[in-house]
Amino acid sequence: MSRSLLVAVLVGVLGPSAWAQAPALTVTSPTLKAGATIPADYTADGRNVSPPLQWSGAPASTKEFAVICDDPDVPMPQPFVHWVIYKIPGTAKGLPENIPIDPATPMPAEIAGAVQGTSGFRRPLYRGPAPPPGKPHHYHFKVYAIDAVLDLRPGLTKAELLEAIQGHVVAEGELVAIYERKPPA
Amino acid sequence: MITRRDLLKVAGAAAAAGAAPSARVDGAEAPLSLPNLDRNGTEHPDVSSGVADVQQAGSREPLLALTADEHDLLTAIVGRLIPADAGGPGAVEAGAVTYIDRALAGPLSGSREAYRRGLAALERYARSSRGGSFRELAPTDQDSLLIDVETGAATGSGAGFDGSSAVFFALLRAHTWQGTFGDPYYGGNRNFVGWDLIGYPGVRLAVTPDDQRLGQLPPRLRRSAYDNDQFHRA
Repeated sequence: MSRSLLVAVLVGVLGPSAWAQAPALTVTSPTLKAGATIPADYTADGRNVSPPLQWSGAPASTKEFAVICDDPDVPMPQPFVHWVIYKIPGTAKGLPENIPIDPATPMPAEIAGAVQGTSGFRRPLYRGPAPPPGKPHHYHFKVYAIDAVLDLRPGLTKAELLEAIQGHVVAEGELVAIYERKPPA
Repeated sequence: MITRRDLLKVAGAAAAAGAAPSARVDGAEAPLSLPNLDRNGTEHPDVSSGVADVQQAGSREPLLALTADEHDLLTAIVGRLIPADAGGPGAVEAGAVTYIDRALAGPLSGSREAYRRGLAALERYARSSRGGSFRELAPTDQDSLLIDVETGAATGSGAGFDGSSAVFFALLRAHTWQGTFGDPYYGGNRNFVGWDLIGYPGVRLAVTPDDQRLGQLPPRLRRSAYDNDQFHRA
């Protein structure tokens, strides 16, 4: 297939909006590997603490970051949301491990001011994978670079956050890792 | 910010309004025991709980339904559900576990097996996921674990919850509220700490004009409903 035909096919399949997406952030983690199994400590089969993340490639216009983790493999119309955190300072290069689950506990200094939104567990904190047994689930840790300091209250859902940052995302990227629970013996 | 304690204050008002069982608690049941589990959650036969533990408990009130191990685990759990803090005593100080123990030996005896299995599953889950007995975990890890039980995330862990772990959590929470905010006659709400926590004055048979003045809190009667002749103990 020629390059021009390939472009034409992709435009037809993806639509013009796909070409308007923000530049890519590179998202990595000291403990999560893309495409590999998430260590138990970041799941409901372990301590269930939030994993550390790192990112690079943010444009100079970045004022804040937001992170969402969701699982599209659930048998539901929308991905199940495991984590929503935003108002992360634009100077941050990532998130440390084990973000506090108690809203009264201050955030680590390097992400001071960050707040957590409401996950699918209806709590404003990270809750890791706890999938029904049967197949591996993919967990998308998505990072958004935002070009404004937005007045966002704590506790936003994923949908509310995405609506609030619409038009302000100047770069985004993700790290996808997997987790599977085995059926009981 | 809404804290757990604030939420429970709201919930407690409902419990104080009549969630406590209406029948008298009497009669002892055979004590139950938690499985003796190692770090990996494997069960071993040399269980050291049961009647002997109850007899050795010394300062503990005699248990009617729970084993000593279950009592101690349940005490640790309710202590995280309604913790004592700067705002006052919590569920442990209120005697919520005493309430639950008495109730499981009487009007709530239908839940006794759910407690036996649920507490054992929760302890297995603590060891498999957090590497230690629930009672030995740091408060933050205890809270995290209880959230996993509450949300059902612990269900597929292999710990052996009957159905969703959320069902057992709902049972624990409801009984903890009852034991903290119910009438002291049933063994909980010791020294009226639950009612003091939510500002409930107790059952009033009459409301005087003084009681209805704006900006004035009603006097705290600190009496069980059964201290009034109009209420009969079943």
